[in-house]
Amino acid sequence: MTIDVNPAKMRRAYVTQVSRRYGMIALVSGLLALSFFLDVATGPGKYELSIVFDVLTDPMSHGVRLKVIVWDYRLPVAITAALVGALLAVAGAQMQTILNNPLAEPFTLGVSAAASFGASLAIVLGVSVIPAVGPLLVTMNAFVFALFTCGFILLATRLKGVGSETMILFGIAIFFTFSALLALMQYMASEDQIARIVFWMMGSLSRASWEKITLGALLLAIAIPFSLLRTWPMTALRMGEATAESMGVDVGRLRVEMLICISLLAATAVSFVGTVGFVGLVGPHIARMLVGEDQRFFVPLSALVGALVLSLTSLISKSITPGIIYPIGIITSLIGVPVFISIILSTRKERLS
Amino acid sequence: MTLSIANLKAGYGKTEVLHDVSVPDIKGGAFVGLIGPNASGKSTLFKTLAGLVTPTAGSITIGGDDVTLLRRKDRAIRVAYMPQAYGCNALLSVFESVLLALKQTTGWRVEAENLDRVSDTLSALGLSHLADRGIADLSGGQAQMVAVAQTIVRAPEVILLDEPTSALDLHHQLSILTSIRNEMDCKKPVVMAALHDLNLAAKFCDRLVLLCEGTILADGPPQHILALPEIGWTYRVETDLEQTRRGVFYVDARLTG
Repeated sequence: MTIDVNPAKMRRAYVTQVSRRYGMIALVSGLLALSFFLDVATGPGKYELSIVFDVLTDPMSHGVRLKVIVWDYRLPVAITAALVGALLAVAGAQMQTILNNPLAEPFTLGVSAAASFGASLAIVLGVSVIPAVGPLLVTMNAFVFALFTCGFILLATRLKGVGSETMILFGIAIFFTFSALLALMQYMASEDQIARIVFWMMGSLSRASWEKITLGALLLAIAIPFSLLRTWPMTALRMGEATAESMGVDVGRLRVEMLICISLLAATAVSFVGTVGFVGLVGPHIARMLVGEDQRFFVPLSALVGALVLSLTSLISKSITPGIIYPIGIITSLIGVPVFISIILSTRKERLS
Repeated sequence: MTLSIANLKAGYGKTEVLHDVSVPDIKGGAFVGLIGPNASGKSTLFKTLAGLVTPTAGSITIGGDDVTLLRRKDRAIRVAYMPQAYGCNALLSVFESVLLALKQTTGWRVEAENLDRVSDTLSALGLSHLADRGIADLSGGQAQMVAVAQTIVRAPEVILLDEPTSALDLHHQLSILTSIRNEMDCKKPVVMAALHDLNLAAKFCDRLVLLCEGTILADGPPQHILALPEIGWTYRVETDLEQTRRGVFYVDARLTG
């Protein structure tokens, strides 16, 4: 026999759930702020936390030397870490919703591989797809190839009879194609060039600059409201394409709009820091476990968790061996994967018990 | 408010599925049962009414307005369609999944009245005990009842239900159809349901429409339609329409030959 719950109680339960989600967003924001500050405070030169905090609030409070270290070296790196983490996680979250596949992210769909090939093309042959970009040659090439790949995925979704499984297969095909092309580039490259390609592919925050940060922040400032406006149709899409359509959602159009948005985010993130896998997967996954898939909370929290993960990675990459900054791409995978697997397994156990 | 379907032709690509379908003058508050064998065009008719399939000819009017001219979203305000059951693995609660159906046509912000509407709908369908359950954890029957809730929560003028009882046990078949009838008594929408169970159709519907190979073969009150010889040959069975001592009609069917 089932027990009926009265409507007022049902409503209250929902309202409580919603406030808990706001709390979750506040909590992760707090952790992000903490991790960000520690990231700025950590580096080859050791300074008191209070001094670093002073310099952050008033740049010239402890002289020019500290201003340069904090504002010109550490801050751009710390901001880039958080920003790129957020970009990758939002792109991953949206890809997963649109393609109805929890494995979709810029890395698994071949976007990162395409960007790496673009970068290697610039490094080895000096070939630019956009003329006169000067010092931004490598970044620009990576961006164009990433965007081109997203565009290809977008076109493929427009084909009749292409479901979400086929899309993932397309992604894997793209991944292998560009990996092969990349190997070809490395075969043709000199030793010095190979070193540069490998370094690019490992993912590094050392290429941070205020110009890139402005551009990335601008994109995120457009992308978040853009997705929030489509939050109800996107949530409906999680019920399945047929159900969403029956509710009045124009699924085809929604896919195209969101893919254009995602393409820009993913291409920008990848061209800024190189290959950083995993964040696009783990950010949305943790967010989903914390707040479910109501996109009003899922998308912002994915951004925050992604930012937190990459910010922590940046912190760890500096802390393992003093004086050496390890490439973040290596750290995300090496430390992130075991943590991630343990999270999955522990929640699975909870469900079973 | 009246729903009228006139000379409707529709299909997929070059294949025409519905040939000149007309169902005139369905009054608000009427429960119309759409019956017919598998692949007779029932789902296609619903999709065409809901605007998911564009008709090549004919008209669909609600209260005199031609709804084929409406945009997808405006159409969804007036016509709600429940497709045949599909599984789904989203991390959403039953309450959230019904709320999201309502929010497709009611603006971005979640208002208090939206929450009232969702909880009232769940209570009316006897689903209140499932409100905070994850939709991925539901049984087939429960998922089907939630899909009905997602459809009627929108309080549209026309409700289209594609096999709303196919996954339900006897108790829930009766309870869901009774709840829908109760809901209709106060809001007076047109409800069209595709039903395979002719006895349920006889019990709950005011009017039956028999569809076969994309053509309407018969249209009228249940006891009249179910007594027609067409029922036998469209379903490829032999049937007799019987009446119980309490005056309820039922179809006695046997395989031919």
